[in-house]
Amino acid sequence: MSSLPDTPQLQHRFTQHCRTGIRTTLPGVAPDRLTHYRQAIRHMVKDTMESAYPITCANIPARKWEGMVRTFFARHACTSYQVWKLPLEFYTYAVENNWDDVYDIPYLSDLLAFEWAEIEVFNMEDIAPAAFVSTGHWLETPLVLNPEYRLLSFKYPVHREARRARLLKEKGAWFVLLHREPGTGNVKFTGISPWLAFVIEQLAAGITVKDILEYAPQLGITVTEELEKDTLAFLTDMQQQHFVFGFQP
Amino acid sequence: MVGLGFRREFAEEMISGTQITPDFIEFAPENWMHIGGYWKKMLHRVVEKYPVLCHGLSLSIGSPEEPDKEFLRYVKSFLDEYQVRIYSEHLSYSKCDNAHLYDLLPMPFRMDAALHMAGRIQQVQDYLQRPLAMEIISYYTPVSPEMSEIDFISEVVQRSGCQLLLDVNNIYINAFNHHYDAKDFITRLPLDKVAYIHMAGHEQVSPEMILDTHGHPIADPVYDLFEWTIRQIRPVPVLLERDFNIPQMPELQAELTRLKTICHQQWKHHELVA
Repeated sequence: MSSLPDTPQLQHRFTQHCRTGIRTTLPGVAPDRLTHYRQAIRHMVKDTMESAYPITCANIPARKWEGMVRTFFARHACTSYQVWKLPLEFYTYAVENNWDDVYDIPYLSDLLAFEWAEIEVFNMEDIAPAAFVSTGHWLETPLVLNPEYRLLSFKYPVHREARRARLLKEKGAWFVLLHREPGTGNVKFTGISPWLAFVIEQLAAGITVKDILEYAPQLGITVTEELEKDTLAFLTDMQQQHFVFGFQP
Repeated sequence: MVGLGFRREFAEEMISGTQITPDFIEFAPENWMHIGGYWKKMLHRVVEKYPVLCHGLSLSIGSPEEPDKEFLRYVKSFLDEYQVRIYSEHLSYSKCDNAHLYDLLPMPFRMDAALHMAGRIQQVQDYLQRPLAMEIISYYTPVSPEMSEIDFISEVVQRSGCQLLLDVNNIYINAFNHHYDAKDFITRLPLDKVAYIHMAGHEQVSPEMILDTHGHPIADPVYDLFEWTIRQIRPVPVLLERDFNIPQMPELQAELTRLKTICHQQWKHHELVA
């Protein structure tokens, strides 16, 4: 059963005002009460963004930040029926609209990605790991990783620093591993080198450490005893941190 | 049965059951779908301990758009997984032009809106294979009304066959904000359709306006209206909502106890409701 045009038109005008603040007249609606709805919705969206992006919010001038949130909500049709996913839409909108340049914050999308990833990994649906055993050969046995992780790459080290001047000086290739600790559900962050990021990607695809090391020269990487030793030390440590679960049986 | 809205802020206390003892819990499916990790474990623990009722936020039954079929599919699966006894929603909309606004917006009290809403409710009930209990929301302005609120609600209920969730605090607030008599309003509702009651606190922010905050204790006049209301209906589950400004657990428990006492006094001649 469909509505006649009247009610959808009223709803459109009501919600457009709530989203944009553009003046509208609706028969029977007291302007101050309409304002109440707009303010309530604005506060909710603002609070949601500030809870999701505390570092970003704290390191951007307040008026600029509020302008970003206001622009996002006015121009973007939020599709998520779960309010906790609204910050993902904000991040996506910032990337799609090139806000790094628009707002002259070159590390903005990195920072938003970093903060969103913590929420995402903390909340992500449980993923059953592959079968594994606790002992095996570190070089030759495929490893089983905790599947609840994200590997992020950044142009700026937003996982270590939030101050603009310092971030801009350290433009490069930065990698951060986030994984959810199975017992507590807490999210752990590990800053890693480009080499270890590559290793993790290959391990996740079932490649052994030995095969990864053998392939490394094709990437221009000189494999030394020290590199092998450091790689294995990292993996051993990550087993303690419940990112490496064990070995394929 | 007197229950309490399940919130993360006091999840541990509800699971331990030492300081607070609701008869059931209620939560919004939207807040718990598609999550894992710590909160999924907590949800499972609390669901093992208490019967569950669900109160949706995002169905947006009054939207001009078609219902979100993917969302409905998840809701159906969620309600089955957690053996949810009642699924309630709101006589409102929160989405328009395919954009969620995350607030409960007032429907225009018009016949085309009533017909639209009744059709949507029927559609959802058919899909979920269960009745919806629809809450009369608190609202701060009518929108271009062509009929009375009571006629609008009655039309929707009669045409859709839905049940009613009677939020007594909402009725109190609406009566104050829109200058009508709360008891007269309740008397004119199809009370045989009331399947569930909500109770919550509010805040008067000006001489002309009360806000539905869920952040304050239930006000005494709302208790009085509740006591009067439940005399008019058969026993149904009653929920205490507290979403903000969370107090110490003994304070919430005191509110639960007061509600239980009133229910016992007014419904003592009825059989207990499950």
